[in-house]
Amino acid sequence: MARAGGSDLAQQEQRLAYWLLAPTFIILLVIAIYPLVSVFYNSFTNAVFASTTPTEFVGLQNYQTLLSMTIKVVPPKLDEAGQPIIDEATGQIKYESAVSVLPREPMRFRQVTQFNLFGTQYVLGATDPDFIRAVWDTIIFAVATVFLELVLGMIVALIVNANFKGRGLMRAIILVPWAIPTAVSSQMWAYMLQPNRTGFFNTLFWYLGLGSGEIPFLSDPAWQLPSMIMIDVWKTTPFMALLLLAGLQLIPSDIYEAADVDGASPTRQFFQLTLPLLRGTIAVALVFRTLDALRVFDLFQIVLGQARYSMASYTYYQLIQNRQMGYSSASSVVIFVVLSIFAVAYMRSLGVKSDEH
Amino acid sequence: MKRRYLAVMGLLVIMAMVLSACGGGAPATQAPPAPAAQEAAPTEAPAAEAAAPAAESSGVVNLTFVSGGPGAGLDFTTKQVEEWNAAHPDIQVKIIAGPSSATDRYGLYLQTFQAQSSDIDVMEIDVIWPGDLAEHLVDLNEYGGAEAVADDFPAIVTNNTVDGRLVGLPFFTDGGLLYYRTDLLEKYGYSAPPATWAELEEMAAKIQEGERAEGNQDFWGFVWQGKAYEGLTCDALEWVYSSGGGTIVSPEKVITINNDAAASALDRAYSWIGKISPPGVTSFQEEESRRVWHGGNAAFMRNWPYAYSLSNGEDSAVVGKFDATSLPGAEAGMSAATLGGWQLAVSKYSKHPKEAAEFVKWLASTESQKTRAINISLIPTKKALYEDADVAAAQPFMPKLLPVFTSAVARPSTATAPRYNEVSNIFFTNVSDVLTGKQSGADAVANIELDLQDLLGFEVGAP
Repeated sequence: MARAGGSDLAQQEQRLAYWLLAPTFIILLVIAIYPLVSVFYNSFTNAVFASTTPTEFVGLQNYQTLLSMTIKVVPPKLDEAGQPIIDEATGQIKYESAVSVLPREPMRFRQVTQFNLFGTQYVLGATDPDFIRAVWDTIIFAVATVFLELVLGMIVALIVNANFKGRGLMRAIILVPWAIPTAVSSQMWAYMLQPNRTGFFNTLFWYLGLGSGEIPFLSDPAWQLPSMIMIDVWKTTPFMALLLLAGLQLIPSDIYEAADVDGASPTRQFFQLTLPLLRGTIAVALVFRTLDALRVFDLFQIVLGQARYSMASYTYYQLIQNRQMGYSSASSVVIFVVLSIFAVAYMRSLGVKSDEH
Repeated sequence: MKRRYLAVMGLLVIMAMVLSACGGGAPATQAPPAPAAQEAAPTEAPAAEAAAPAAESSGVVNLTFVSGGPGAGLDFTTKQVEEWNAAHPDIQVKIIAGPSSATDRYGLYLQTFQAQSSDIDVMEIDVIWPGDLAEHLVDLNEYGGAEAVADDFPAIVTNNTVDGRLVGLPFFTDGGLLYYRTDLLEKYGYSAPPATWAELEEMAAKIQEGERAEGNQDFWGFVWQGKAYEGLTCDALEWVYSSGGGTIVSPEKVITINNDAAASALDRAYSWIGKISPPGVTSFQEEESRRVWHGGNAAFMRNWPYAYSLSNGEDSAVVGKFDATSLPGAEAGMSAATLGGWQLAVSKYSKHPKEAAEFVKWLASTESQKTRAINISLIPTKKALYEDADVAAAQPFMPKLLPVFTSAVARPSTATAPRYNEVSNIFFTNVSDVLTGKQSGADAVANIELDLQDLLGFEVGAP
């Protein structure tokens, strides 16, 4: 395609193509590029949402508050003899409060988490620990859901790709979770995860003799992310299966017949034929799903509210509840950067080439 | 070459979509980025607008009223609006169900205001919002508001008056109440509801033990609102204030939260969890706790007055077996109820502020509040109604609890305006961390103090 010039006809067709594309690009300019530029612009101001307060330019301050982090050593508590005090109940060394070691000026750092490395206790501090936690949680969420959805989706796709009676019906049925609006299914799951025996899961676990029948799935920090991951896997596995199924159907059946003749086992056929031939489909599905999962909003907003944030629900919270339009624009830009990193990494590592010929 | 260019272009476009979806609040988009749950409200608005021009030629004014509210509130308000429409053929009001969560409704209003949209004419606003929203609301004094609020509780009128502008008419007031099971108190030999938190703990533990021994495994002593949201600020403010720990930030703009009384009040609440309150209480809002109570599975409940008439509803397991009283204190007589309640306001961007004000005055009138008190147990803001025989007959607890509502403790929304939402968020997040065992009460109040100093720049002091 890189030929310079070319025939008149080719040039004519090319011009026509640009004309045909023009309306789309104009619409994109209005509905996508303009808001995009406006978000970038706002992220350097202290704009207040729905207010007549004058807006000032604040440079990189929003980004500084969002992203500043520090690591400090937490000293152990010492007794009069200078020896660390051991907690009698747990046998662990007692440490000073993290607040005492984190800087207060010019900006206050708050604890994100503490960890122990080679016997020294460290604290990770950030000026906005909620945002750092939101980024971390969202990445964990995205990696876990996409991995599980890929594995389960592949299994489902292989099953419905096989020939059996009622296959058409089966294919329709597996799409049901995907067809329910997320707002509805999130609320449904929130009911099922109720922290007492009015909730399905607590009743089930209680009958099975697990737990007290009062596991607080949505308020216990240890259960929150696993619950979110479970809901998303339930909802999105069908979509993944559908994408993979489309890829499976493009693989000609004669190569399997040939493999059978050569005596290759089904496992070997899967790893040496199916998987390599599905590579392109998997790459597309992964890019789709990862970007989607990193943007997750409705699920977190409806089920967890302000108990725990995803990157997007944190942005929404800053914009709507705190009315910090400048600050939330900055966090949108950070989400954009995180997404771009994932997108580029995928394109590089999975060999999605822009020019295949 | 060209293909590569197109692919890059495609990537850019995807990214642009992604970003504009995330930063949906940018003024340019205007379309509300609300989650589907909230969309029910705004989607109906254009229909009302479309109908307006046609109707206006014949002299009919169409108004849109965003209501909401927990429990039966909406159904009854809808009936009242139908009544108004029948009596006023030239001012037709269309009622829209707003999101039931107050924070979601706040978001909806802000989005409408940001767009300076006339989609909403009349709205219900929470008692903590007048300071925040005043710049977008009509001064009702221009439409005879002063006469309309003559008989209202002065504290609420003051709360609704921002820089001399009356931005909302009191619609109903609210205060935290202690609901208790009269039958169970009698069964376990108690003659009166608890006056102190220690008494409540003891009674709750004993009743819970007894009821469980009799086979009700799901029975709990005390249910309340422990989820990290505005409701927790209300509950925790009651614990703190009733222990002599102040109001977080005093009306004189002094941060008073860092004191021993407040710290021990929070530690005490933590000690209830798993003992007399279910572990899941840390994810309860009003309705979650009411459901436990409604099914007859709790001895005590902290809730708002709306639960009173619902608990006497047909499907309730506690009909005639309960009463409501003031909440306990650290010592008898130190009881505190957080001031709640909703106001009716008119948007500055309404095309018919005069007609909207007429409607608002009618809906907030003594007559209207009386029917609301009798039918759905919402607490009137008119002093005269507390001497009204019909109200007393239908809701015997109301006249009795007049002192609770007149002396309810306000959240520090005026002293901290326009940053109250952030103040409340700092407070309930830290309290929530105490309830889930992540920090002690003493650490929590110290952290709240530091955070509030950073946010507000106020002095610190004793309550």
